[in-house]
Amino acid sequence: MFQLLFKYPGAVFRKGQFVLLGKWPGWLLVVAMVAAAVGLALLIRWKLRNAAPEVRNWRAWVVWGIQSAFVALVLFLLWQPAILVAELSSQQNIIAVVVDDSRSMSIADSEGKTREAAAVEALEGGVLAGLRQRFQTRLYRLGRELTPADGPREIMPVAPATRIGDNLKRLATETSDLPVGAIVLLSDGGQNSAGGGSGISRDVLQALRNRRLPVHTVGFGKEQSAHDVEIEDVSIAASVIAESRISATVSLTQRGYAGKKAKLTVRDGAKEIAGREITLAADGRMQAEPVFFPAGAAGAKSLTFSMETLSGEENLANNTMTRPIVVSDAKRRILYLEGEPRWEYKFIRRAEAEDPTVQLVSMLRTSENKIYRQGISDPSELANGFPARPENLFSYTGIIIGSVDADYFTPLQQELLREYVDRRGGGILFLGGRFSLSDGGWGASSLNDLLPTILPQGKNNFHRNAATVELTAQGLNSPITQLLDDPAKNAQRWKKLTYLADYEDAGAPKPGATVLADLRAGRRKLPLLITESYGHGRTAILATGGTWRWQMSEALGDLSHDLFWQQLLRWLVAESPGPVVASMPERLLMDEGRVSLKAQVRDKQFQQTTNAHVTAHIVGPQGTDAFIDLTPSGSTPGLYETEWTAEKAGTYLAELTAESAGGQPQELGRDVVMFQREDGVAENFHTEQNRRLLEQLASDTGGRYWTPSELKNLPGDVSYSEAGISVRNTKQLWDMPVVFLLLLGLPITEWLLRRNWGVI
Amino acid sequence: MKCTHIALAILAASAGCAALWAQRTGDFGFGNDDSPTNVKAEFYWSRLAYSTNIASNFGGYGHRWRSSWSRDYPKADRQFLISMHRLTRIDGRPTEQVVTLDSDEIFNYPWIYAVQVESWTFSEKEAKRLREYLLKGGFLMVDDFHGTEDWENFMNGMRLVLPDAEVEDLRSGDEIFHTLYDIDDKMQIPGEQYVWTGRTYEKDGYQPKWRAIRDSKGRIIVAICHNMHLGDAWEWADDPNYPETFASMAFRVGLDYILYGMTH
Repeated sequence: MFQLLFKYPGAVFRKGQFVLLGKWPGWLLVVAMVAAAVGLALLIRWKLRNAAPEVRNWRAWVVWGIQSAFVALVLFLLWQPAILVAELSSQQNIIAVVVDDSRSMSIADSEGKTREAAAVEALEGGVLAGLRQRFQTRLYRLGRELTPADGPREIMPVAPATRIGDNLKRLATETSDLPVGAIVLLSDGGQNSAGGGSGISRDVLQALRNRRLPVHTVGFGKEQSAHDVEIEDVSIAASVIAESRISATVSLTQRGYAGKKAKLTVRDGAKEIAGREITLAADGRMQAEPVFFPAGAAGAKSLTFSMETLSGEENLANNTMTRPIVVSDAKRRILYLEGEPRWEYKFIRRAEAEDPTVQLVSMLRTSENKIYRQGISDPSELANGFPARPENLFSYTGIIIGSVDADYFTPLQQELLREYVDRRGGGILFLGGRFSLSDGGWGASSLNDLLPTILPQGKNNFHRNAATVELTAQGLNSPITQLLDDPAKNAQRWKKLTYLADYEDAGAPKPGATVLADLRAGRRKLPLLITESYGHGRTAILATGGTWRWQMSEALGDLSHDLFWQQLLRWLVAESPGPVVASMPERLLMDEGRVSLKAQVRDKQFQQTTNAHVTAHIVGPQGTDAFIDLTPSGSTPGLYETEWTAEKAGTYLAELTAESAGGQPQELGRDVVMFQREDGVAENFHTEQNRRLLEQLASDTGGRYWTPSELKNLPGDVSYSEAGISVRNTKQLWDMPVVFLLLLGLPITEWLLRRNWGVI
Repeated sequence: MKCTHIALAILAASAGCAALWAQRTGDFGFGNDDSPTNVKAEFYWSRLAYSTNIASNFGGYGHRWRSSWSRDYPKADRQFLISMHRLTRIDGRPTEQVVTLDSDEIFNYPWIYAVQVESWTFSEKEAKRLREYLLKGGFLMVDDFHGTEDWENFMNGMRLVLPDAEVEDLRSGDEIFHTLYDIDDKMQIPGEQYVWTGRTYEKDGYQPKWRAIRDSKGRIIVAICHNMHLGDAWEWADDPNYPETFASMAFRVGLDYILYGMTH
């Protein structure tokens, strides 16, 4: 219909450039149109006094409008309007027809046929024939790789992955010396890229744009499942502390089960280590569910997160996702400085004595000039008091500062504490007490910056009065405050905990700080546990010295006190880096083996080391065992990197070791990172047609998204492209049928109106 | 009428004398909330008032100022607290606190002191409460009992609390003697009777026994000073006839025991 009225297909107007071929300038056309309209208006107004009464009202302006439009159209035609459009030369160009042959194309949701069968049928039903009338065609299969195909029937949906972006880029690159005029992509859009992303990257789009290659996409498959639950992602730390309580966030979506309950489970091998019932959110809405579970013993683990299968689910394979984690039993040493003997000190030590992953090294000021040390590794440790050198202080992964005046630290030690958090990336926990926080002069000290709260004025903010505790909304979802698995029961448990022996007003939380628990003392509600990220590290305030009552006044065997302290101190140190920090951009490799390994190496003062010798020992499935050297990065001091390929699917463990350079190399440190290659798993996820991606790809490259029912126009539309061998054609617009219709229609309309109004 | 007036006067005078005597020696009560010395603090010197197995006390706490738990009370406690204030950074209340096993209030005082423990006994409920107190992290120091018979009586009570407890002799190198002061050479600390007898021992307790009961992690939960009387040494430290050596040693041991109880 469009072409009948406008003579040319829509692509001409979408892709072409409008021009006026007449000799007179374009602005003159506008002036002429305005002048004609004004002239007509004056003429009508002058004649109106003698006109019939029936048209001496709004009808006169309708007549003016019709006549002005008529004159404007005639003037427009006098300027010779046309479209300039690039058109592929017939029989001189190649059209690349790319068919997705990934496993998701085997889903039978295209009117009873598989997506692949529908695509093949569309090609054989006229698309290929239509294209071949004017172009050469090349047929490709697109899955993990891009491979040429001899005919549509050869294409089978068996590829374990869909790499649309990578393969289109490859096609653009490999055919750079060929006159490829356009790409026709038949797919469900189920992209699963190497980086785990589900979009088309900028460099792919840039490669296509450089060649001005339009991609026409044809979408197959249902755009929405009727009944399905899918795990979208699982977020979990790469490395955790042995026997600690860790958290993961499972992101999921569902369709058809809104409001229903389903069980989320976490398994380590065959053993279920956590499970909880969740209520499914509205259809299509992303839902993030935290789940807490014990890390268990040290070792490399592959955790499986699963959603319970619900009746009638269309895709069961997307209910499970795995994540590799390293559970480390390396002892974290925490330095605890306490300014006066108090019960909190004793009971924190007792709680940490039960934690095999944390060693509490403590200094207690028993009298004005005596310090009692516990947990030291040798008699010389801390013999001279609180460390005053970075190599001594930075060897601890966390610091607790109890009831200690700020003035107890020298200016040098205060600066070291700031650097400890900011540069070294350690964690400091400040406790409430007689000499703590505002009562200890911390608000006026140079370390005020480190504190997560704005301390109150004055020095009488510590009170030996009872205070009860309750979790905040953030506290409900924090692994620090998880005494019980069930969030509701956990919140209740905190409310029922015996009261604190004392409390301190810690002031108002700073912007960016998180309050995990509040205390209630009489009518006052004050923040109790506040955390904050600072520089590369973290700080926290626990505004009391009286949690020991949770140990003495709760029932014998109640673990609330010990569990809280163990979790708080593990949080304090869990992300404190060692001298060597191994990392990789992606720990989960989907259908590919390229691995980028990086190591940040620092010396004992935590300054970047640029002359270290760094090696990686990689152990993997089926006897994979490799040693590779890392080389210094040219851009970042202290960063070493290398690339390696994991050939086989499975779990890999890489231990990175750094040694000092020189005649007698000394080990600077080591770190372990775990990664996993999964083949064929990505195709189980996002199986609905990703129309948005296909539309975006077509739109960004100058192509068009097509549904299978619209394909008869595809061969014609493909012609309008600037890629390949093309000529710019001028399409005259004056002879479009719609122009003649208007030239006739406008006077006829005026005549009919006048007749209707009875003025003829 | 006249006789009645005389009787009333005698009764009033007796009551006044009793009140004056009580004021001179302390109130012997279980705490007085209105007292200006009853301030809130981190550490409360907590003296355990226990039931006794002596028939005259009818199985209860006995008459307050004649019961065995209150020996040297409160002067010993207060003199010790004075030294604690002078020699440590502990924020302690200057007056003592009497605790019992009648209620869970005892769990607010993680360090307790008991004397003349040869006479203590516990009901099942009391024994359970003391057992839980010790296993949760409470610390008990016992003092002022002497000789074989006292030991047996003490252990009879202790077995009600911790049936499987093993008592061990402490060595000089043990941490409890090195928290504030390094006490390597210890001596028998006698009671006030040394002033007029010249003997450091009582009954057949010739040798000082520094003993302890530990929990499953090896931490001392009951520190036992057998054949000694540290409480008297604190109480009579200001008596010119009581040797300073004994008093000093008693203070050092007491402070070490408190700091051990606050750190382990």
